[in-house]
Amino acid sequence: MTDDLDRAEEADPVTDGGSTVTETERTSAGGSGLAGLRERDDFVVIATAAALVVFPFLLVDVLGVVGDLIGMSIGGYAGLPSLVLIYGIIVIGFNLLLGYTGLLSFGHAAFFGSAAYSAALFSQIVPSPILMVIVGSLVATLLAWPIGFVSIRRSGVYFAVLTLTFGQALYFYALGPGAWLTNGDNGFSDVAAHGLFLGALPLDAPLLPVFDSYTVMYAFTAVMMLIAVWVGNRIINSPYGLIFEALGENEQRVEFVGLNVFRYKLMAFVISAVFAGVGGAMFLIHEQYIHPTTGLYWIQSGDFVIMTVLGGTGSLIGPVFGAFVFEYVANVISGVNPPVIGPIGSLWRFVLGAVFVFIVWVFPRGIYGALSDLGAWLLGRSGGGDDGSDPAATDGGESE
Amino acid sequence: MARDTRPMNRRDVLKASGAAGAAGIAGLAGCAGVGGGGGSEYPAIGNYPVEGDEVVFGYNVPQSGSYSQEGQDELRGYRLAEQHLNNGGGWVDDWSDLSGDGVLGKTVTSVEGDTATNPDTARQSAQRMIDRDNAIMISGGSSSAVAIAVQSLCQEEKVQFQCCITHSNDTTGPECVRYSFREMFNAYMTGQALAPVVAEEYGDDLNFYQLYADYSWGQTQQASMEQFLTEAGWSQIESVPTPLGTSDYSSYLSDVPRDEADALILNHYGLDGANSLPQAIEQGLDQDMEVIVPLYNRLMAEAAADSIGGIFGTADWNWKLENSASQSFVEAYQQEHDRVPSYGARIAYAQTLQYAAAAERAGTFYPPEVIRAMEGYEYDNAGLGSETMRGCDHQGQRDVLVMRGLPPEEQTEDSLLELVSTTSRDNLGYGCDSGPAADCELGDYGDEDSG
Repeated sequence: MTDDLDRAEEADPVTDGGSTVTETERTSAGGSGLAGLRERDDFVVIATAAALVVFPFLLVDVLGVVGDLIGMSIGGYAGLPSLVLIYGIIVIGFNLLLGYTGLLSFGHAAFFGSAAYSAALFSQIVPSPILMVIVGSLVATLLAWPIGFVSIRRSGVYFAVLTLTFGQALYFYALGPGAWLTNGDNGFSDVAAHGLFLGALPLDAPLLPVFDSYTVMYAFTAVMMLIAVWVGNRIINSPYGLIFEALGENEQRVEFVGLNVFRYKLMAFVISAVFAGVGGAMFLIHEQYIHPTTGLYWIQSGDFVIMTVLGGTGSLIGPVFGAFVFEYVANVISGVNPPVIGPIGSLWRFVLGAVFVFIVWVFPRGIYGALSDLGAWLLGRSGGGDDGSDPAATDGGESE
Repeated sequence: MARDTRPMNRRDVLKASGAAGAAGIAGLAGCAGVGGGGGSEYPAIGNYPVEGDEVVFGYNVPQSGSYSQEGQDELRGYRLAEQHLNNGGGWVDDWSDLSGDGVLGKTVTSVEGDTATNPDTARQSAQRMIDRDNAIMISGGSSSAVAIAVQSLCQEEKVQFQCCITHSNDTTGPECVRYSFREMFNAYMTGQALAPVVAEEYGDDLNFYQLYADYSWGQTQQASMEQFLTEAGWSQIESVPTPLGTSDYSSYLSDVPRDEADALILNHYGLDGANSLPQAIEQGLDQDMEVIVPLYNRLMAEAAADSIGGIFGTADWNWKLENSASQSFVEAYQQEHDRVPSYGARIAYAQTLQYAAAAERAGTFYPPEVIRAMEGYEYDNAGLGSETMRGCDHQGQRDVLVMRGLPPEEQTEDSLLELVSTTSRDNLGYGCDSGPAADCELGDYGDEDSG
């Protein structure tokens, strides 16, 4: 995966380094106010790592105890932290496309699902999780190229519908004519992923004696997440990434500067598909099962959009908060049985919708925006200025 | 992903240390329950051993999606079963295995989940029940794709799955697993039971045309209808797939060749059937040909009440059956809900009790022993006469009811169908080496290496 991205960065012609970039850099530094944080590559990675270490403990154990105290099962379970991170990886990439480049794709399930299916099929030959991830993301990348090549030619709703169409075509293929390959509607469950390092570390083996949410699978996912954060951070800090953002702000200006807009947009599309592919393969390894409805149906693409917007499109890790809230509501709140209201069950989408409306209404910049506002407010009390918002926001991320 | 199966008490310790770790906000609240059932004679597997005084069942049913109404009725059946297991009543009083005092001395509690008629949602919901809530048994279904997805998860996790409504041949055919049992009949048996009846009623040499819901159940359902109607001397014109969850069937229905076809078979269920059948009648297809609905359910019969008069189909069970088990279940259910149960409620009820009874017979919740107590078990107390839970593919061998819709003027709220005939299990089914069972490999019990 990193190879692809490195190539992408290398593909950036040297001539782009000149006045163009300084210009866009100035615009964005003034515009988003995130420039200070962006410089600190190592800080972002270390902060994310710290959050990843405490995340399962908070989600499963602490919330589990709180749930026992209030008599409602609001705790997570062993598989949930990994699931959140997997979606987190996908939406980090998705946000590079939506939040930075300003392209709304409604067909990212195609990359997610095709990566999952190709990882599943590959596992029949070589049951190695790492190779499955590589194969899955490779297939997603190869698929993204032609789909992007056709779709990028149109913008706005036409682009969204084109990507949606490609995704749905794959969905119907997997369900019907491709059933010999995908096992159709019965879902693909013959997945063989024996463990990391030639099966030496089984994925379900516990890492810590008492905390059973810390499994090898979680560590594997967390490492992939760290790589995703690091790569994402590198991209948006690079001149290349700044062009993405410039494209999101004003495509015409970028064109007038003399850059090949089509090529940059295509590359943003492909990069986000690589993230979706990594996520898809990881999802398969985690679930050991894939079904066309999960892998390829348009609702899955819509879920990526909701997670991203809910979390906040203006920052690198913002969407991960969206992925967390989405999966938490879907998998935990849906099983809650509050005293007066009764079982939530299928009402979970209603709950999620309410949360979504609230967040988008009150905090247009999503959950991350809300957290950074909160941080700014707290820091403002202790004498911080406008610029204090960035570190405060990251603190919010850690304690989450 | 598969979960580890290390010795007991881990989760209780976990809760306790979670409490401690959370800087004392919880004190020692997590410690309750440690120390129940210490002297277990079997190694830990899945969610065995069961700690504390309670045993958790997971009810994983569609609360949204095409089959949501089925799901509601299944839930009513599950809750009734739970109530009877804990406090007596209903079948529990008549089954010698059950005491009305919980199961193996433990009170039954439950968790519920929404499958959304989506296999992956169902798996995640079941995963939560297994990982967090320590469910020892999961039951559910009402879409064969869902049942198949969840039963494969349960096999990995070594947690028992009791199929509720799932009628696809694949469930106990190529996709069968050791940890899942199905009492409901399947599409193959529907074909066997229905074909002779309709052939006798409508004549021998007819041409039939099929529409089917394009997923696991619909596919095996239409294949079985083709096989047995062809054996009965009919010939198929065409069989056309429709996507699951279609609401407008008019284009499919207008493609039916009216002058050529003598019979139209609608392999649709739940909301799909409730849409396709009335639309077929509206288009006047019943004037030109016989309409057959292989698998009836109440939602469909209610929604299509004006259209079902004289239409043949099969059903799992009917509240009008005159055996004591059926009547005592109807009575208990009516007391709770003020109307008669659908067959979904009976299967849900029966599956929960079957599991509890098997655990009592085995004398333990140890899953391999519970499975062995159920394999090959003969019983006649579930409202359908003599039944066998066959060991080779975990498919129940039982009678199948052929039903016919009542004309609208004879219908009441609870009585929409009439029983035409009961096909005895001796005339149904297939050997362990033929039909869907030929493709079934059950997989392991999970105690092979230790035993």
